[in-house]
Amino acid sequence: MISKFLLAVGLAILMAVTGVSSYVYLGTRQSKAAAPIQKPTAATPRAQAFTLPGTIYLAQAGALYSFSAGRFHQLTPEVGWTQPALYPDGSHLLAVKRSGFFSDVFVLTPYGGVTAQLTNNAASPRNAWDTGANAWSFYPRLSADQGTLWMSYDGPKYAGAGYFDVDMAVWAVPVGAPIRNGRAWTTANNYTGGDMQPVPVPGGIIYTKYTYDQNGNRTGQLWFTNRAGSAGRALTSTDASCAQPSISPDGGSLAMICTYQKQVSYLTIASWNGSGLGGLRTLITDQLVAQPAWAPDGSGIAFLAPGGPAAPFQLWFLPKNAYNPPPPSPVPTPSPTPGGPHNGALPSPTPSPAPVAPVIKPIQVTRNLGFDATSPLAWLG
Amino acid sequence: MTTITLVALAIALAAVAGGFAYFLPAAATALQETGVAANVPSPSPLSTLFSPSPSPSLSPISQGAFTVLLLGSDDDSKFSPDHVLTQSMILVRVLPATKEVVMLSIPRDLYVPLSTGGYGKIDGAYSYGSAGAAIATVQQDFGVHVDDYIWVGLLGLIKVIDAIGGIDVVTSNPVMDDYYPSDIYGNSPYDYQRVAVLAGPQHLDGIHAMEYVRSRHSDLQSDYGRSKRQQQVLQAIRAKAKQLSPSDVPALATAIGGELKTSIGLDKVARLVPLAASFDNPDAIHQVLLLPPYARSGAPGGSLTPNWGLILPLVHQYFP
Repeated sequence: MISKFLLAVGLAILMAVTGVSSYVYLGTRQSKAAAPIQKPTAATPRAQAFTLPGTIYLAQAGALYSFSAGRFHQLTPEVGWTQPALYPDGSHLLAVKRSGFFSDVFVLTPYGGVTAQLTNNAASPRNAWDTGANAWSFYPRLSADQGTLWMSYDGPKYAGAGYFDVDMAVWAVPVGAPIRNGRAWTTANNYTGGDMQPVPVPGGIIYTKYTYDQNGNRTGQLWFTNRAGSAGRALTSTDASCAQPSISPDGGSLAMICTYQKQVSYLTIASWNGSGLGGLRTLITDQLVAQPAWAPDGSGIAFLAPGGPAAPFQLWFLPKNAYNPPPPSPVPTPSPTPGGPHNGALPSPTPSPAPVAPVIKPIQVTRNLGFDATSPLAWLG
Repeated sequence: MTTITLVALAIALAAVAGGFAYFLPAAATALQETGVAANVPSPSPLSTLFSPSPSPSLSPISQGAFTVLLLGSDDDSKFSPDHVLTQSMILVRVLPATKEVVMLSIPRDLYVPLSTGGYGKIDGAYSYGSAGAAIATVQQDFGVHVDDYIWVGLLGLIKVIDAIGGIDVVTSNPVMDDYYPSDIYGNSPYDYQRVAVLAGPQHLDGIHAMEYVRSRHSDLQSDYGRSKRQQQVLQAIRAKAKQLSPSDVPALATAIGGELKTSIGLDKVARLVPLAASFDNPDAIHQVLLLPPYARSGAPGGSLTPNWGLILPLVHQYFP
C-alpha cells in the first residue's frame, strides 16, 4: 500500500518536472529574431573583440555612447539624442535632441554634459496648437573655423500655414546666433523630404539631395555647392541613388552608400578633387550598409549594418587593405644556374604560384546591439 | 515491467502537456482569429460586366495558385468596431509552382460600384459590410476571384512588427508629415503629431514602421507612394518572418490577439508556413501599383476615377 502511494507521489513529481521542463525547453527554442537589443554598456565586447583606434560616438535608442578601447560609455540618458558630430578641434560634440514634435541642436562635452543649445525649434506657446509650427534640425556639422553651424532645417514655420509639404534645406547659421541670422544654402525639391546631411569641405558643402528621377521615383543624389542659393551640381546620378557622404581625413576620397533604388545599400567610395567626384567604386554589396565613417588615421572605414538577416544594426569595420591593398611583393626573378655557362636546353623554371590577394572581409565589432542607422558616426582620432 | 511502462507513459503525457500549455495561447488565438469566414454576397449584375471569361483549364503555372486580399484598417476610437475604412487594400496572388508573388495595391480612394449598392470610395466597402463586402466589391469590380482575406488593424501591424523584433527597410527619401494622425497612443483620435522618418537603411520598430507606411501628406504621389511603402514593409516582414521558429508562435499570437482576422483556416496556415519560407527570390515578387493613367483624380469627394479599360487587362494579366 505504501509502495503504491510512494509510486503515485513519485509519478506526480516526475510528471510535474517533465511538464515544466518541456514548457521551458520550448521557450528556449525561440529564435533570436525578436530578442531585445542590449545596451552597449551591458554588452561588454568579448575578450577577443576587435578594437578600433580613437573614440567613436554613436547613438542607440535615444542615447549617445562613446566607444573606445573596446568599451562603451553612455554619455546621455535615453531621451531622444542622436546624430553626434565632432567639433573640428575635437573639444566638444554637437548632437540633436529629438522630441515628438521638434528637434534641436546642442553642444555637449565629450562626456555628455550639455553646454549650449544652438537652436530653438519648438513652436511658441501661442502657436502650440499647430503641430506644423514646430521645426526639425538634423545632421548638424561645424565649419572648419567652428564659427558656422551647418544643418538640415525645415523652417521657418508659420502657425496655421497648414503646409503638407515638409522639406528640409541645408542652412548655415553663425554659432550661437538665432535662426533669423541664418541662411538657406539649398532649395529643396518639393515633396521629397529635401536636402540632408551636409558635409563641409574646403570651398563648399557636399550634401544629399532627394529628388525625382525621370520615372518619377524619389531617389538620393550627392550634390556639391559653393554658394548660398546656388543650385550647385550633382555628383552622382539619380540611378545610383547615393546618400550619407563622408569625407576622408586627407580630403581626397568620399565614402557613401548607394542603393540603386532597391532595398539594398552598397558601401561605395570615390576620389574627390575638391570639385568633382571620380568613378564610384563599390566595396560591399552583401550587407545593408549605413553611415560610413573614415578612421581618422586612415586605417579603414567603420559603418553600421545588420548583424544578421533583417536584424538590428551593429558596428562594423572594413580595414584599408580591403579597398587599398598594399602593392604586391616583387616577383622573384630566376637566379642564374651556378656552374657557368650552360649550352644545353634551358631548364624550364618551376612556375611559382601567382600571388593571391587575400580577401579582406569586414569585421563585426559589436553584437546584440541596435544602433540608430540614421545617425552618423563621429570618429575622434 | 508495468511500473516502467507507467513511468514512460507518465513522462510522455507530461511532456505533451507541457507542450500543449506552451502552445495554448497560440492555439486559442488561432482558433479565434483564423477561419473567420467572410460573408460574401452573391455577385451583383455589375460583376458580369467586369468579370473575365473563365479560363478553360488551369495552366501548369496556375496549379495551386491562390489569391488573398490584405486589408489594413484604422481601428481607433473614431470608428465603431467592424465599421472601419480599409486604408490599405492589397491583392496578393501566390504561385507556388513558380515561387512567384504578385502584389497589386488598390488605391483606397478609387471611386467604384460597391457590392452593397451605390458608388463610393473602395475603402468604404468594409465599413458597410465587413470583409465580405470588401471582397465582393473587389471581385465584382476587378473581375478576380479572392480565395481568402487577412484583415489587420493599426495596432495589429505595430504589434506584429514588434513581436518579430522589428524590420529592416531602406527608405528612399525622408518621409516627413506635420499632420500625421495621433490616433493610436494620443489623447484624442483627432489630434495630430509630426513624423520624420529619415532616409536610408534602418531598423524600424512597429510604431515607426506604421508611421512610414501610413504617412501621406508629404508625398506628391499621396496614396500611390504610400502603397509602395506598404509593399516594401510587407516584404520586410516576410524577410524577418523567415528567421522565426515555431517556438516564437505563442508570443506572436499573444501580441496580435484581437488585431487580426483571416478566413484562412489553421490547416491552410500550416501548409502556407513552409511555402512562405521557400519564396526566397526577391525578383520573383512583382509589385503593381495603379498609378495614373490607371486612375486619375477628379471624382467626387477627392476620390479617384478608375480607368477600367486599362486596369482590367493589367489585373487579368496577373490575376487570371
